[in-house]
Amino acid sequence: MAGMELLSDQGFRIDGRKPCELRRIQSKLGVFGKPDGSAYVEQGNTKVLAAVYGPHEPRGNIVKLQDKVVINCQFSMATFSTGERKRRPRGDRKSMELSMHLQQTFEAAIMTELYPQSQIDIYVEVLQSDGGNYCTSVNAATLALIDAGIPMKDYVCACSASYLDDTPMVDINYLEESSGGTELIVSILPKSEQIVFLSSNSRLHEDCLNKVLDMAIKGCKDVYLCLDETVREHMTQVSASFSAD
Amino acid sequence: MAEILMSEAERTFILHGIQDNVRSDGRGCEDYRPIELETEVVSNANGSARVRLANSDVLVGVKGELGKPSLDTPEHGRLEFFVDCSANATPDFEGRGGEDLALEISSMLARAYDCPSCLDTQALGIIKREQCWVLYVDILILECGGNLFDAVAIAVKAALGNTKLPVITVRKDENDETELEISDDPYDCERIKILNAPCIVTLSKVGNQHIVDASLQEESCCLSRLMVAVTENGTITASKTSGSGSLNPESIIDMLESGKRAGTLLNKTLHAKLLEEEVKVGTKKKTMGFLT
Amino acid sequence: MPTEECIRIPGERICRTDKGLVAGRGTYECNGQIYSSVAGMQLKSDKDGKVHIEVQREMKQNVLPEIGMIVTAKVTNVNPRQCKCAIISVETTSLSDPFRGVIRSEDVRSTERDKVEMYKCFKPGDVILARVLSLGDAQSYILTTAENELGVVIALSESGATMVPISWNEMQCPATYAKEYRKVAKVQSDHITQNG
Repeated sequence: MAGMELLSDQGFRIDGRKPCELRRIQSKLGVFGKPDGSAYVEQGNTKVLAAVYGPHEPRGNIVKLQDKVVINCQFSMATFSTGERKRRPRGDRKSMELSMHLQQTFEAAIMTELYPQSQIDIYVEVLQSDGGNYCTSVNAATLALIDAGIPMKDYVCACSASYLDDTPMVDINYLEESSGGTELIVSILPKSEQIVFLSSNSRLHEDCLNKVLDMAIKGCKDVYLCLDETVREHMTQVSASFSAD
Repeated sequence: MAEILMSEAERTFILHGIQDNVRSDGRGCEDYRPIELETEVVSNANGSARVRLANSDVLVGVKGELGKPSLDTPEHGRLEFFVDCSANATPDFEGRGGEDLALEISSMLARAYDCPSCLDTQALGIIKREQCWVLYVDILILECGGNLFDAVAIAVKAALGNTKLPVITVRKDENDETELEISDDPYDCERIKILNAPCIVTLSKVGNQHIVDASLQEESCCLSRLMVAVTENGTITASKTSGSGSLNPESIIDMLESGKRAGTLLNKTLHAKLLEEEVKVGTKKKTMGFLT
Repeated sequence: MPTEECIRIPGERICRTDKGLVAGRGTYECNGQIYSSVAGMQLKSDKDGKVHIEVQREMKQNVLPEIGMIVTAKVTNVNPRQCKCAIISVETTSLSDPFRGVIRSEDVRSTERDKVEMYKCFKPGDVILARVLSLGDAQSYILTTAENELGVVIALSESGATMVPISWNEMQCPATYAKEYRKVAKVQSDHITQNG
């Protein structure tokens, strides 16, 4: 396509970023009153709300686990969130897969053994989507879990990366995602640098994997710094309002 | 809807307060709680609005798509309402849990807007019997804090008012086939006239009185409600009772009157606010969304 | 060394576990280091001669019933073997969602445990104080009222009035003077909190 160069000769991407730059991240804790924890994260034009309920008695047909908490995730996307209108907000194959991925990610981070026989719900709602749905959802859910005070080993930060013209690119947007190139998604526990979730689409030469992975992990750490700033700011505000009482 | 625990004493307190026209949060019987409104919050939609009525939070996105007009109104476009109750609001909405409420809200909206005078659907027609605009009005319920219907209707009206549809020119080419040309200039757009669009006012009967904009606590004290869709000049385009109780005819007449009063005022305030938003959007305002 | 009154966030390393420091609530231990697991204020407290490092949140927190805690519950169902109830509050925190609890007939009182008649101890609608005995099976928490201070606290008579306790196993209606059997709690708030 003419004029649709994903990486210009000058080394800039389609939205003007350098290959190693993240999109702007803005976030907020405690958006709603009803859930035990909630958070809102914007990464560029991708906007996600997350809510956490629990721990509470398992509901419906969920089977209790004797030794750890059940983590129940639901991923849904607003019907107006994508360029083309979505028919259903959830229940399609892609959302189901993402729900499962989220569950897998957070089972690794939450200290599940502390709450046997109970359940924690994580609900993620994508309000506007511009690539990186999984990553933004993970970041929003992490903040919501922190807001709910659920013990976690560490933050979970997720970031994507791609590879084009011998250059690894971090935090890819919708256009870069849908161009058919490689997409590598990583979630890590930033302190211990453990990878809790990894998935990749399309083929990538083995020799390049390391470069792309490094780029994604670097992205995760940058995301972590942004989230950490929000949490600390929120905590300072909260403790200030408590000591004022 | 979300259930809350309330003791008998709280219930009595609320009941007695309403009888004296003082509600537990200090409002009178026909007062609304503070409403926050922001338009143009979702850039992927043609129009969008977010309304926060006390603790009820609603996000509406309007997307225009080209479709075929329905057979009985070949020259008109149409509106499709879709409500999604997000599990963020309450875990009961998980999976298909919110569908009953969603259906109730979307059918009420469809009836409220199903009136030729409140929205000019003919302006949405493009080619008779061939092409028209179908406006998908998608409503996302993010938090339930009482009086959902009113909040939804305000957000829908604001989002429709915010909707910008690209101008379409119909042309005939040499083979006499019609050709649609969609303008790609974002400033070359058509707006929808919403001056006569309705707002929904829910009146809850509590004791012998009726109140507008019931909070969750007040909703749990009230057995029957009357919902009316009112336009700015006081026309009622739809009404419906709900709840497990019954109402006598005189009180329905009274409630319709208060509904008209409250609805007219609500519409006026909304129009003023939308105008204000429009000016702000013109001067490149920063979208705050959920960050405020 | 850990400093007092500072903000900790999940995954943050607080200190090493030597020098008698123990990981308390809101923290966890890994490879000889103590890490925070929630966002909150760091506290130090002395328990059993050891210094516990804790991270405490200042906002309301969801609590779960734990073994040994006193809970307030509402009786929902009584049969000759057991009594089912909904746990509505744990210690001093009221729950947004009730948990299911069950009192087996042998856990109702500490004496003559085999002669307990459930219908003479509880009726549906009673508000009771009970202690969590175990996390139970997959269905519900197992509770006990086998202490003087535990049992029925609030009960309505058949005429709908709140009854007054007159002995350890009887309550009386102030309106009709009718007596009904209950496993009455001897409410002594100081005593209970000390025990709990």
